[in-house]
Amino acid sequence: MAISDVNPFEAPPAGDNMFARITDNVTRIAETATPPRAWYIAFGFAQLLLLMFLGSLGYVIWNGIGAWGNMMPVAWGFPIVNFVFWIGIGHAGTLISAVLFLFRQNWRTAINRFAEAMTIFAVVCAGIFPGMHIGRPWLPYYMFPIPNQMDMWPQFRSPLEWDVFAVSTYATVSILFWYMGMIPDFATFRDRATTTVRRVAYGIVAMGWRGSSRQWHVYERAYLILAALATPLVLSVHSVVSFDFATAQLPGWHTTIFPPYFVAGAIFGGFAMVVTLAVPARQFFGLKRIITIRHLELMNKVIMATGLIVGYAYGMEFFVAWYSGNKYEVFTFVNRAFGPYGWAYWTMISCNVLFPQLHWFPQVRRNPWATLIIGLIVNVGMWFERFVIICTSLSRDFLPSSWGYFVPTPVDLMTLGGSFGLFFTLFLLFCRYLPMVAMSEVKAFSPAGLAHGDH
Amino acid sequence: MSSIDDLAKKRLSVLSNTPVAASGAGPAGSARPNYWKSLAELEQSPEFLELAAREFAAPLDQEPPNSPARRRFMQIMGASMSLAGLDACRWREDKILPLSRRPEGTIPGSSRYFATAMELNGHAVGVFASSYDGRPIKIEGNPAHPDSLGAASAYHQASVLGLYDPDRSEGVSSGNGNARKASSWEAFRMALASSLSGLQGSGGAGLRVLSERSSSPTLAEQKRKLLAAYPGAKWVTFEPMAYDGPRAGSVLAFGKAYRTHYAFEAAQVIVTLDADVVHPTFPAGLANARALTRNRVPDSGSMNRVYAIESSVTLTGSLSDHRLAIRAGLFKAVTAYLDGLVSAKANALPELGAAQDMPGAEFLKDAKVAKFLGVAAADLLANIGRGVVVAGQHQPAEVHALVHRLNALLGNVGRTVFYTDDQNAEEQSDVAALKALTDEVSAGKVDTLLILGGNPVFTAPADIAFGDALAKVKTSVHLSLYEDETSLKCAWHLPAAHYLESWGDALSWNGTLSIVQPMIAPLYNGRSAIEVVALLAGASATNGLELVRAVHPELAADHAWRRALSKGVVEGSAAARVEPKLTALSKVSLAEAELGSLGAPNGKLELVFAVDPKLIDGRFANNAWLQELPESLTKLTWDNAVLISPRTAKELKISDADSVTVSVGNRQLTLLALIAPGHADGSLRITLGHGRMAAGHVGGLVSANVDPVGDNAYTLRTSSGYEVANGVSVQSHGTVSYRVASTQDIYTVGEIGQQGTQERLPELVREGTLEEYKAKPEFVAEVVEHNPLLSLWVPPVSYDGHKWGMSIDLNKCIGCSACVTACQAENNIPVVGKVNVAKGREMLWLRVDRYYRGEPEDAEVSFQPIPCQQCENAPCEQVCPVGATMHSHEGLNDMVYNRCIGTRYCSNNCPYKVRRFNYFNYNIDTIGITPYTPTDDPKAKVKAMVFNPEVTVRSRGVMEKCTFCVQRIQNTKIRAKNSKRTIEDGEIKTACQQTCPTGAIIFGDLNDGKAEVTALHGLPRSYALLGELNNKPRVQYLARIKNPNLALSPAQAPTTEQG
Repeated sequence: MAISDVNPFEAPPAGDNMFARITDNVTRIAETATPPRAWYIAFGFAQLLLLMFLGSLGYVIWNGIGAWGNMMPVAWGFPIVNFVFWIGIGHAGTLISAVLFLFRQNWRTAINRFAEAMTIFAVVCAGIFPGMHIGRPWLPYYMFPIPNQMDMWPQFRSPLEWDVFAVSTYATVSILFWYMGMIPDFATFRDRATTTVRRVAYGIVAMGWRGSSRQWHVYERAYLILAALATPLVLSVHSVVSFDFATAQLPGWHTTIFPPYFVAGAIFGGFAMVVTLAVPARQFFGLKRIITIRHLELMNKVIMATGLIVGYAYGMEFFVAWYSGNKYEVFTFVNRAFGPYGWAYWTMISCNVLFPQLHWFPQVRRNPWATLIIGLIVNVGMWFERFVIICTSLSRDFLPSSWGYFVPTPVDLMTLGGSFGLFFTLFLLFCRYLPMVAMSEVKAFSPAGLAHGDH
Repeated sequence: MSSIDDLAKKRLSVLSNTPVAASGAGPAGSARPNYWKSLAELEQSPEFLELAAREFAAPLDQEPPNSPARRRFMQIMGASMSLAGLDACRWREDKILPLSRRPEGTIPGSSRYFATAMELNGHAVGVFASSYDGRPIKIEGNPAHPDSLGAASAYHQASVLGLYDPDRSEGVSSGNGNARKASSWEAFRMALASSLSGLQGSGGAGLRVLSERSSSPTLAEQKRKLLAAYPGAKWVTFEPMAYDGPRAGSVLAFGKAYRTHYAFEAAQVIVTLDADVVHPTFPAGLANARALTRNRVPDSGSMNRVYAIESSVTLTGSLSDHRLAIRAGLFKAVTAYLDGLVSAKANALPELGAAQDMPGAEFLKDAKVAKFLGVAAADLLANIGRGVVVAGQHQPAEVHALVHRLNALLGNVGRTVFYTDDQNAEEQSDVAALKALTDEVSAGKVDTLLILGGNPVFTAPADIAFGDALAKVKTSVHLSLYEDETSLKCAWHLPAAHYLESWGDALSWNGTLSIVQPMIAPLYNGRSAIEVVALLAGASATNGLELVRAVHPELAADHAWRRALSKGVVEGSAAARVEPKLTALSKVSLAEAELGSLGAPNGKLELVFAVDPKLIDGRFANNAWLQELPESLTKLTWDNAVLISPRTAKELKISDADSVTVSVGNRQLTLLALIAPGHADGSLRITLGHGRMAAGHVGGLVSANVDPVGDNAYTLRTSSGYEVANGVSVQSHGTVSYRVASTQDIYTVGEIGQQGTQERLPELVREGTLEEYKAKPEFVAEVVEHNPLLSLWVPPVSYDGHKWGMSIDLNKCIGCSACVTACQAENNIPVVGKVNVAKGREMLWLRVDRYYRGEPEDAEVSFQPIPCQQCENAPCEQVCPVGATMHSHEGLNDMVYNRCIGTRYCSNNCPYKVRRFNYFNYNIDTIGITPYTPTDDPKAKVKAMVFNPEVTVRSRGVMEKCTFCVQRIQNTKIRAKNSKRTIEDGEIKTACQQTCPTGAIIFGDLNDGKAEVTALHGLPRSYALLGELNNKPRVQYLARIKNPNLALSPAQAPTTEQG
């Protein structure tokens, strides 16, 4: 199969009406024989990264956690930074799908599907780290409440145990929500299938969807219920993840501001990842008519708003440290900004607080490429935020004698870079084989759809 | 099936020797056998034939697979298939040798202790060595031994690791250089006999013995006999450790060599002149530490006062009340100055001679120095007969002579200072003796040279080419534990027996006799020095036991011998105290350089050579426990460094962790430089014993591509600048290219870190003066203000039975770190190596934190040992998701290794950071990857012998930490329960507590109102480290209370500084 030099999606969508054009615009991505060359390049690159990821994890499993840079006192290094980073990314999807759905923010329909996909893939990436970072990675099931002959039970007072439930619940609900939303679109794919394989495969996942009004009725109810279930999870997952730190005694971790601050940061980072993915996706797959500049602008506004919340939290942490009068707290924050890891702190501040301010200018927030660049910057900043919280706080705690300086090893960098390989591999496969945009929902809120009146 | 039947019948026919008719033929057709086993066979009944056929049939033939049996068949097949898979799982195969009757005196699985002694530099420390199923695995001090008093140092503790070192030589070898071939003791004996026969005619003119310094009466007797038999032979002693200054000083002062003993427990004022009297390498250092700190208990009001004048920060300086840093070359002037001050005031007897002139030295014009010396002299004069002045071992003879005079002037002799004859003293210094020997060898006068221990090729001064000269000796023999640098240059290498493998005898510093008894038969066919000398002398008995017994007629009676072995000392064998008569001393002559200013005149520095506190002269270089033990002050592991004062470093533009080249004349050495707060200006200090080329796979083995550890300072040490070299220059090349393996303050902490440390240090290491403490004992508790500590819930554990606690007295801790190695030996703590220490992954359960206070130029040092604090409200227990760290009913935070999956959250939440994580399988060479894949490497098996079987050897990926030596607690509980009694206070001693020379660590049951630990926790100066976090730690620290002289420093401001 020759790879086309020309982007097959450049042509305007075909069809005699609005609905047909939407269907054509989305389905042709999955139905075309050859995706654009960019897809192949990206997929090949993602595969290389994925290989590196698996290689680095294999190396760590074989040799021990010491292959990473973790040491004493920084016993949690890159793996947990990566875990919190990916979990944070995994927030925007559910927020867009569930919360914005409940708030009737109909613009979300253009982006909710791949935001949800992004959520799930990010949770997959995140889920790998807690299992892999433990000293004996063949025993993570000790953390699950499995009845066993030793009569051993997990220790439910540990926030890590709460994580197990919070993340697995979130992953389950997100997958259900994502899958359920795709059922009508799978049916469209099935109906348009020209090969048996596609017909059977999409037929199975479409679960017998016929688009009857009764099915639509049940579907809408279920979607609403799942949205209502998912909404508290948006708040709970990252709150629980933040408890890993907030309930600990370590200065820099032990603070009550963490749950809202983490949630805001997660939405911030999640939206940044959505725009990072949306801009190339709409460019390469010819979705500019569906994911419009207006959508990007709205997302940029959310980024700006949550970025301000995050910036406020950064400031508030300093204020509370000073106001507490606790010398360990004060030291931790002064050291964070001006100590040996000051470079990481200022990277975080500039990426997360300064650069998003550019979105005050309409020219910037309406420019897809500026959106992409700022989205990338925010992603870098949010990774550094987790690095600052985890590594800087641990490196200098109570007793000066046990202070240390964490230096990542090449394996750390390979694992971090490789996790993007897993993420992009899954995401590119999603773009190619699954309905990237929620066609049925977009249609419902398209001018033609609205003309049909309320459902 | 039928074919199988046919086959069986054919076989049967062969067996019965009877032709069988074609298959299916009836019994009638069969002939009767000639020989038969049963009547049935004879008759060839059909039943018999069928049964006989079945005997050889496949089992399945027995039951034709009809319907129900087919199912059974499938079951059996399935089971067989799955069981066949099990064949792949291998179990460890071990051969056992059951004893049908238990030998008398052995209790399998129980530790028994035997008294023995370990000698170093001519004096021995008595120890107890444990024997666990015949293996010595732990060393403790012998409380009855005058130089131990129950304590042992780090290198005593680590000696068990040296015993099982797989790098020890495994047999006699001969050859030249690296081209060596294995030989045997028999071959050596023959070779020796032939070379001796040549010597006999000349009266042994070509025979030389080069020995380490030894106190062994047996060896001394052998030496006497040997020299009598071979009048032309010579016996030379060479030891790189300083001994000459005190000997020559005593000769100068008394006309004869005497040993000096100090009764620090009776002293009120102690002035040390570059003397680290509490260090284990100082003669009787362990006992000195006990005696000196006995009078540092502010609660009873008995506090002595220590003035330390020294060129580098020593352990003595760290515990002192006043410290003055002066470079080593100025001590002659300092001592003369003190003599002048004291003579002016004291009623000097005329026979003590005239006072020294007050030297007009530049540095004495420094107001601070003059005031310090003046106050110290005044304090000594105010405490006539209750003071001690001590000079350092490496100080020259004049200083020692003047110190003898000072002690006499101050009336200390006979009260706090005592003398005994030094029977061990040689005529000349070790260096001169070695030089003379080398000259003789070079001149070809020596044809048989026996080197007993030591490693003179490595340790000889750089200007004495001893190693090169060795080639000229026809029969050169080296007895040594390792095939080391000297062995490689000798014609013969003989494997030495470790002290735990051999019989011997040794004297303590005060002459008390101890018998050295073996704990285990020599692992590598080694022999002790006395056995080899016996071989040389052609003695009939070459058995160590017989040799030793022959020398001690007073122990001839069996009960006396047994008593000596059992106690570890021969009572009443101490040398008699003598009162030598002081001769009038002439005025000391002071060279220009000895009258200079405090700093470095003209940028020319002095370089002090010191034996390494861990590796000594390099003999313990292959001991990984000692290599990994953080040095007391620099906290450096796996390395040595040249130490330099902050001011001098600034002047010479050297920063911390620079690579520098030190030049002594035309000799140069490039090594790591560390800035040592409190170090004397103008002085450099370097420790000897690193940079071994043929130590072993731990300490450096160039032939196996194992780089030397650290840098060899012997290359700078010449016979003229032996203890202190002058005119030294140093040049920096910028930061070293590797990460320095220091366990504290790796690289500069920066201004923020320093400020943060300054702020919190007064709370962490609480200190005060005796006046403050007397006036307001509760000041210690008031250092930290916090809200009332409330708990959210009632503690789930009531601690009805025992409630274990620990008290650590910061007033007594001298930072010697013996406890750290004791803990390592007791608890099977792995060694991680230089790279991992540099990454901060050291595994030591107990660490000794070192903090500097005051300005870097004259910093004061505080030590704080940090074991697991065993919090009642433990943050680690709270956060473990799998319940791998649990609270016991006695208040211990127990680690359940099997449950631990290694999330490391517990370490993150531990405010004391005492938890240690197995980032790799650090025990992989001894325990293998899994329990089912053990190693068959014999060297690994030898290494594994040192493990304490009562403590789990941890594998990769689990967290570990101090357990309060839970195995000792349990053993004592079992013993007490078996004899139906309660545990007495002090019956359980943790490993760190037991070895501590000063008794700074006390462990016990806090529920026992009469326990010492309960009393100590009740003292007003007892505080919980970070107690304001409401962790309720079970370890409490006793604040450090100093006894400063108000004339010198009215309560120094508690400014702190992180170095």
